Amino acid sequence: MNELEALRRWLDDLRASVERKAEGLDAAGLAARSVPPSTLSVLGLVRHLAQMEHHWFVRTLARQDEPQLYVPDGDWDAQFRDAVADEAVAVDAFDTWRAVRDRADAVLDRLEPADLEFTWDPDDRIGSVRDALQQVLYEYARHLGHLDLLREAVDGSTGE
Amino acid sequence: MSDMWLPPGEDPREQAEPPRGERAVVLGYLEHYRATFELKLAGLDAEQLARRSVPPSTMSLLGLLRHLAAVEHSWHRRVLDGGPEVLRLWGKAEHRDADFDGAEPTDTCVEEAWAAWRREVADARAQLDGDDFDRLVAVDGEEIEVRDVVVHLVEEYARHCGHADLLRECIDGRTGQ
Repeated sequence: MNELEALRRWLDDLRASVERKAEGLDAAGLAARSVPPSTLSVLGLVRHLAQMEHHWFVRTLARQDEPQLYVPDGDWDAQFRDAVADEAVAVDAFDTWRAVRDRADAVLDRLEPADLEFTWDPDDRIGSVRDALQQVLYEYARHLGHLDLLREAVDGSTGE
Repeated sequence: MSDMWLPPGEDPREQAEPPRGERAVVLGYLEHYRATFELKLAGLDAEQLARRSVPPSTMSLLGLLRHLAAVEHSWHRRVLDGGPEVLRLWGKAEHRDADFDGAEPTDTCVEEAWAAWRREVADARAQLDGDDFDRLVAVDGEEIEVRDVVVHLVEEYARHCGHADLLRECIDGRTGQ
């Protein structure tokens, strides 16, 4: 398996783990701030992960001039603060996240292994295609750590 | 306002030159998350480190430190080194959660955990230095590439840094990347 194929498989595995962490929760469970004083919730993290994938794959790699998702007027706290226990808010978050993933996959489908070397800013720690993909993987992994503890505090469930 | 753990200029994770190429980037991330994890434990006493601060989870920062020492140990000795089944740290072979369950709020337990983690990190670093990412190694009867082992290790660190984020915030309110 080449590096690009491996990166994509890891990404798919991480997305599936996030899906499992959210599975079976109603709007109240999804929006629960279950580990106070943290303001994180499962729903807030799904919105954040949609924003994060959109930023790296659509805005950065595909160079699409679109505003950040869930950051109205530069209000970065909104993605977590406005993740409220409302069915419509939850449906929107999951629909948005899945749509972003489809767009991200379309961007990744066009890459060749050699494109991983493409560097747009040699001075930036995340200035190449490889860096961006690696960054997305570990963002997912760190947020899965948050999801583990949030979910366990909601209903006691644990697991990969 | 920055959401970083330390102000710019004081962060040991800052580097002059960003790494380039698969090896350097992936190993750079591994060092980044090892350092992040270490920072998350800084400035706490034995009671705080051993505190199960996010119930009902039985995790503590000290438990995570012991767990990550065992993770490093297991991957580099059992998988990368390809040796016979070696003794698992903390008696994990007999008791799977021994790393978490044995995290006691004593200075001795904390010192032992740091010593084990530092030793295993140093050994894993030496093992990975110069290893070929395309090389195949056996894990549970399946062959995987060394690159899979390393990325898995970074993912595991990153996920445990996520646990450490919330455990730490519930101990003294401190947050940051």
